Amino acid sequence: MTMAAQRGSDRKLSRAEASFHDAWRATERGTDPISNLQRAGFAEFEASGLPSTRVESWKYTALRTLSRRAFRVSGPVGAPTAEIVEGMAIEGLEGPRLVFLNGRLQQALSGSEDLDGLGIYSLSDAVSDGLGAAAEILGQIADPAAHPFAALNQAFLEDGVVITVAPGKTIAKPLYLLFISCPGGDPIAAQPRIVVDAGAQSHLCLVEHYTGIDEPDNLTNAVTEIRGGAGSRVEHYRLQEEPAQAFHIGGLHARLQRDASLDSHNIQVGAALARLDIGVSLEEPGAELRLNGLYTVDGKRHVDNHTRVDHLAPETRSDELYRGIVDDRGRAVFNGKAVVHKDAQRIDAHQSNKNLLLSQQAEVDTKPELEIYADDVKCSHGATVGQLDKNALFYLLSRGIGEEVARKLLTYAFAEVVAARMPLEVVRRRLEKRIAGTLPESDLIREPVGGDR
Amino acid sequence: MLNIENLHVRVGGKFILNGLDLEVGAGEVHAIMGPNGSGKSTLANVMAGRDGYEVTEGRVTYDGHDLLDMAPEDRAREGVFLAFQYPVEIPGVNNAYLLKAALNAVRTHRGETELDAFEFLTLVKDKMKMMHMAESFLERGVNEGFSGGEKKRNEILQMAVLEPRLAILDETDSGLDIDALRIVAGGVNSLRSPDRAMVLVTHYQRLLDYIEPDYVHVLSGGRIVRTGDKSLALELEERGYDWVQEAVNA
Repeated sequence: MTMAAQRGSDRKLSRAEASFHDAWRATERGTDPISNLQRAGFAEFEASGLPSTRVESWKYTALRTLSRRAFRVSGPVGAPTAEIVEGMAIEGLEGPRLVFLNGRLQQALSGSEDLDGLGIYSLSDAVSDGLGAAAEILGQIADPAAHPFAALNQAFLEDGVVITVAPGKTIAKPLYLLFISCPGGDPIAAQPRIVVDAGAQSHLCLVEHYTGIDEPDNLTNAVTEIRGGAGSRVEHYRLQEEPAQAFHIGGLHARLQRDASLDSHNIQVGAALARLDIGVSLEEPGAELRLNGLYTVDGKRHVDNHTRVDHLAPETRSDELYRGIVDDRGRAVFNGKAVVHKDAQRIDAHQSNKNLLLSQQAEVDTKPELEIYADDVKCSHGATVGQLDKNALFYLLSRGIGEEVARKLLTYAFAEVVAARMPLEVVRRRLEKRIAGTLPESDLIREPVGGDR
Repeated sequence: MLNIENLHVRVGGKFILNGLDLEVGAGEVHAIMGPNGSGKSTLANVMAGRDGYEVTEGRVTYDGHDLLDMAPEDRAREGVFLAFQYPVEIPGVNNAYLLKAALNAVRTHRGETELDAFEFLTLVKDKMKMMHMAESFLERGVNEGFSGGEKKRNEILQMAVLEPRLAILDETDSGLDIDALRIVAGGVNSLRSPDRAMVLVTHYQRLLDYIEPDYVHVLSGGRIVRTGDKSLALELEERGYDWVQEAVNA
């Protein structure tokens, strides 16, 4: 028994941890590569357990409620009809669609489309085919030792998708992954794994959309690993709209090679508790990362975004813009870390986090961090927490606009800065619509008026 | 239309207005001039209902109603308009949306129907022509990246669309070059009408070359110390504000 495992076994397990231990013991494992990965994942999870607030990166996010729930790692789900699925999907998004119910890929609900250069394999197929190129990515980019939930996901690695983009190919349409959480009697832990291998000079747009039906009290624990080959471009959208009782934990981990770029658009508007860890390594010169994020928190919800970028090579760039709107008794946590490694000269790293507090009870903990071990770098970071601009509010009131509408309009304007950076129009519009909410003629706020042009 | 009696206003513990009296009738244009710090902008802001101004004494009536008792948005809906000295930038909300929302708020309050998109555009494009503004301004964020002159033109455009009964223009001429000043003044002049009153708050006489006032008031130490016709403005330009202040002290 390893030291780590020994530490783990000394602790009293929470109900959630015990449920995962039981599920682990109930399954036989072989000696194939996947079983080995699962075993390594479980060993890490057993050692760390669910992170407590004594762990620095979980200081502001307590998992008390989550830890008191017993989860099943799989279970029967009532299959929603194609109409229900269609109703949850992002309107107007064209292209191949994969639908997952509680983390399980549903071929019957999915719509495949042959796109030149795009390979889509269910994780279970990839496993039986011996993993192929995915073996260099799966479990290799998301570090289970650093992320307890990535370890947990790896321990129960079963379903998910492997996406490959052939070198030099531009995939004409976005690939849409729709994850639907649904009630299954007991709370269910859905743990899909998404593996992306973007070949050299390829271009992919990927949309991950997390949502749910019939108010399940499930846990989604999704992990995405991306390898961006030389000169590749990946545009990644992650839209988290889970139901109000749900827990949502996610990981987005990427490695970028020479001149590769990743644009991450992270939208967190749902779940009782949501946490996303983004970790990107810029491994070779010319690699570029843009992190764009928006979170809205109301009621007693809690949203935590942790991002980390490692500048490992010279002439790499990262640019982060995160904004949050926190209302009622909501709580938001932001931690953005940029590490500039030794010899990573002539890099650019910029970071901004702005928060709008709409109530007295709302709370934000924001911490931008820079660690710099090179000397020829351009770095900036900043974080603000504030209220609606009084001058702007008065300006609107003085034009006859009522206070409630004026406040909503300014809140919308605050979020729009992030939305405007999203090239994929259908996603951007969905977000704008959600934030504009009940504003009159909200579709006109940033669009040209009138149907006559 | 507007009646200000013995108005005392305190800002952050300091009295800025000390017993100001002013009466403005329909169809009249009044210019309020005065040195920096005399209370001109305070007067404009108190009329529009901005926070942070404490009225300790006096009263203001607008069409017989207590103006100070009304919320800023209600004042606007009742026809009071303030052209800001420093118009606020609101990226993310386009100009057209603000104009339409404001216009429909006013129209609804008056019991009129809201304008549909076509009617609104027809109206607004017409007014934009008058202000020499390209239609592309409609799609830009409110005042976002506008030059000083463009912001002031946009204020007058809003005024032209909303057609207020009482317009207060706070230093609308500041920061304008001569061409922009002509355009802004042209817009203001076209809005002069027998049932509309205007109060121009300005430091310089220059604006009054283009918008001819019926009355000129000199504000000093928080009170109106002298009232005359447009020739008073010319005299001020020549002799400076010290001359009035000395005359008051004498």
